[in-house]
Amino acid sequence: MYSLRLLRKLRGVPPTNGLRELASQHKRRPQLGALSSDRLEELRTSFVSGRHELSASDWQEVRQSLLKSYKHISEHNVDAVILGVCSGPGQLSLAKNYVEFLRSRGSEPNAASLGRLLRIYNAAYHERLLSDEEQVEVWKICESLHKDHETLDATSCENIIHGLVTTKDHWRRAPALLEMMKVTSSPSIAAYSAISEKAFTEEALDKQEDPLSWRLLEEMALERKPPKCEVYLALINRLAKEPALVSAQLDRLLNFLERHEILVSRRVAERLLELAQQLPKSLHVSDTLLIAPGKCQSCQQHFQPVAISDEQFRMLSESFLERVLIRSDVFQRSTPKEVASFKKFVDRTAPYDCVIDGLNVAYSTGTKKSPKQLAKLVATVVSHFREQNKRVLVLGREHMRNWCKQSMHYVQSNASLFLTNNLSHDDPFLLYATLKSGSDTDFFSRDLMRSHAFHLGPEMKPIFRQWQQQHQFSLVTQTKTGKLIVKEPIRHRLVAHKVTGTWHVPYCEVYTPHPSDSFEVPPNWLCLKLGEQTPQEKSKEEAH
Amino acid sequence: MLKSLVGRRLASQLLKGCAAPVRHASESAGRVNPFAGSEEPPKKFVNPFGQPSTETFTEPVVTESKEEREKRLKVLQLEADIAHQEGRRVPALEFFQDHHWEHVLTLPSRSARIKYFAFLWQIEMKKQSEQRKKVLKAEETERRVAEIKKEREENTHIIYGLGHTSMFLRIYDTTINHWQNNRLTRAMQFAPKMVLDCSYDEHMNNREASYAAKQLMYCFAENRQNDEPFDLHYCNAHMAGRCMQNLKRFIPPMLNPEFPINIHEKCFTELFPKKNLVYLTPHCREDLVTYDPDDIYIVGAMVDTVNNEPLSLAKAKRMGLRMARLPLDRYLQWGSGSGKSLTLNQMINIMLDLKKTNDWDTALKHVPRRKVVEWDEQRRNEKDRWAVGTRARKLNVRIDHLLDYEEDRRKVSSFATPKKVRQRTEGMEFKLDTWATGKQQKTQRQN
Repeated sequence: MYSLRLLRKLRGVPPTNGLRELASQHKRRPQLGALSSDRLEELRTSFVSGRHELSASDWQEVRQSLLKSYKHISEHNVDAVILGVCSGPGQLSLAKNYVEFLRSRGSEPNAASLGRLLRIYNAAYHERLLSDEEQVEVWKICESLHKDHETLDATSCENIIHGLVTTKDHWRRAPALLEMMKVTSSPSIAAYSAISEKAFTEEALDKQEDPLSWRLLEEMALERKPPKCEVYLALINRLAKEPALVSAQLDRLLNFLERHEILVSRRVAERLLELAQQLPKSLHVSDTLLIAPGKCQSCQQHFQPVAISDEQFRMLSESFLERVLIRSDVFQRSTPKEVASFKKFVDRTAPYDCVIDGLNVAYSTGTKKSPKQLAKLVATVVSHFREQNKRVLVLGREHMRNWCKQSMHYVQSNASLFLTNNLSHDDPFLLYATLKSGSDTDFFSRDLMRSHAFHLGPEMKPIFRQWQQQHQFSLVTQTKTGKLIVKEPIRHRLVAHKVTGTWHVPYCEVYTPHPSDSFEVPPNWLCLKLGEQTPQEKSKEEAH
Repeated sequence: MLKSLVGRRLASQLLKGCAAPVRHASESAGRVNPFAGSEEPPKKFVNPFGQPSTETFTEPVVTESKEEREKRLKVLQLEADIAHQEGRRVPALEFFQDHHWEHVLTLPSRSARIKYFAFLWQIEMKKQSEQRKKVLKAEETERRVAEIKKEREENTHIIYGLGHTSMFLRIYDTTINHWQNNRLTRAMQFAPKMVLDCSYDEHMNNREASYAAKQLMYCFAENRQNDEPFDLHYCNAHMAGRCMQNLKRFIPPMLNPEFPINIHEKCFTELFPKKNLVYLTPHCREDLVTYDPDDIYIVGAMVDTVNNEPLSLAKAKRMGLRMARLPLDRYLQWGSGSGKSLTLNQMINIMLDLKKTNDWDTALKHVPRRKVVEWDEQRRNEKDRWAVGTRARKLNVRIDHLLDYEEDRRKVSSFATPKKVRQRTEGMEFKLDTWATGKQQKTQRQN
């Protein structure tokens, strides 16, 4: 497709901001009838590469060849396609040449072509600053696009935003366009990032309470859209130029990363390292690893333990059953009678030290085992806890009654056992019992509980995930001698956080627009110490 | 008898003025039945767990005013236009019609719109390519006709040919339809019943609702075509809902009183006694083992590509009905293609064959072969068999009965069907009282 990703690949320039440029790209399947990349390459090398202008007859030839060879390219499309091909920052003059050619033939380029042209201006802006005439040109194009329609669609808005941020005087109109984008769709990561990047470079960050850039970043993060690397890089570059802002802005940035559980990319981490080397007095950064559970290699401090407050725990336990098990129709996952009888059972036999998901544990070493082996595994896990003198509850389904009598008898005598209907989901019961027992109870299951996290809703999901991280044991395997290898919960936090004045910031390899829920510890961390704060800022912090 | 019954039905329809024809037996629930003997008044079947049905099909909250709607429509049209100018998979603005824009306005997100535009783009491209092909074909035909004309003119002999005349009487579609409808009316009186539960409108999106309607149409058609059709009842059919509106498009005479289809707004628990109902749902654990003609089987008319909640299970549990699922795992080896969902017409065909033969292997032949793992192997086998069959036909030898018993692995003879192993040893069991008595027991010759 005429995607910037493909075209950037062709230019031979290494992808500047990770492999994914547009947010929706990962969903696009290879499309029939679209120009494949080698045809584009052909086109590019035969007509476009290295040239700054083509004669009128050459352009005519290019047009005709495109119109003839591809059935879906018509008079409407061909201009935008050609401008899409010359999208590199060095090809700005070529693009302008094409637009002049169109104007000389008497036809005005259509809105999509002008939008593409603005994108080329933006690409050029990232290499060098635009001259004044170029900025005037950009402004004129933006005006012309805007005057025809009162409300523009999302793509045009995005193109105009990309155009406006290249100018010095007019970029402040961009947020209004962002609002216009919200009429038809949720604004894309590219649009948000472009404005934030410009705002970080231009705005007076210390004068205002709530600068535009931070406001936009908050908005993005609330929509689960991680900002692109360029935004962070722009901030860091600004800090390199104005070292006075370092402590306040970095503090704000790190709090932002912590609050929204965002991981920065390696590029940003490396830039931070460079910044620290440039300003050794106010910032000290080192690349570090984790040794032992939760201990930083460079500063030898232990990470903050992950724990949720009592208030949050209470909220979680109260809303859990309603949101996850009952939802819109209790019959989909269970029956009202069963829910009531389970509630009574838990009230009677609580509190526990650990709640075990019987079926999940039984099948952890393989699904094709015989019922005897499955039951034996459950019994082994129960005995593991019994040795530590812990009270356990085992959850299962009715058909487990038919398993090996000896093992099940052991389980019944050493633990509480509740068997649900064969048709019911047993996971919500497990989590409910654990929550009801109190904030110290753990649970034993390999299940990632993704669907339950989703059904809790966006406010409760992070709380649930934190609680899950702290309390979930999972069975890794059973050795030949019968000993169990159990994965203990990770008791320290996995996001950017502060431990007695030292920040620890994890980072990932490349930027992804859709990071998935990770249950692993990030391997790379940065150990960051902000330098002496001015007394002003210190007192401001104490006043909070 | 038949006429009077039909007459009674028509009269009741005219009286009621409503479109749902009700069967004679359930009509008598309210009145005295002159044909039956003295029996207790038939029970009225009420559904105590019935969900309150929504009166009208409510769209998701429509609070925008007309101007806002107009504005939004303009912006969406601009979006489509610009995307088309960029060369994306969006058709030109002239292709769009009013009902397309109606649908676009209901779509919730930008990605949904992109997908819908891509669908319309494909249609536009297909139309364009068809037109191109039509033009080529027209030229071809002209050329061909000109050639033949030339030949005819040059030819000095007489030309024989029948043209399009034929000595056979032409059988029109309507004749077959009438014949099949007659079979259906007979089925309504005597055949076992089957219910299609159409209450899942809210759980399907527009596309799924139209697919469901198409499958319901196929159910009706394939039931009608079969030698022994079911008495099919479409229950919980909300006439203003999308599914039923689409069904009306597929079967226009659906609501005519003389058309042999049963569509009820009521629930099946109100029409049939609960102890006879069995809900067929893929989410439960018990397999259906044998077909019982007294039971009334219910199939949920839902296309559940998007929604994978066990809705039919929940419904059956709430109503306290028996549940069963088809024993697909026992008789078929499921391959990796396209999951275990079956369409409604496949279900009806399976049940029809099951009713006829009570044999799961023949019934489950209606499961598409691409979903079953031995597809390639079976295809190869069937191709070989086909070759053998054609040769046999050329030599005028019957071999079908031989091929069917291939699995028996006994030596087949061309003159007798091979018996199964157990059958052969009949008459050879050890009988103590007659052993060594010298008397010969005459065994019955079985064929």
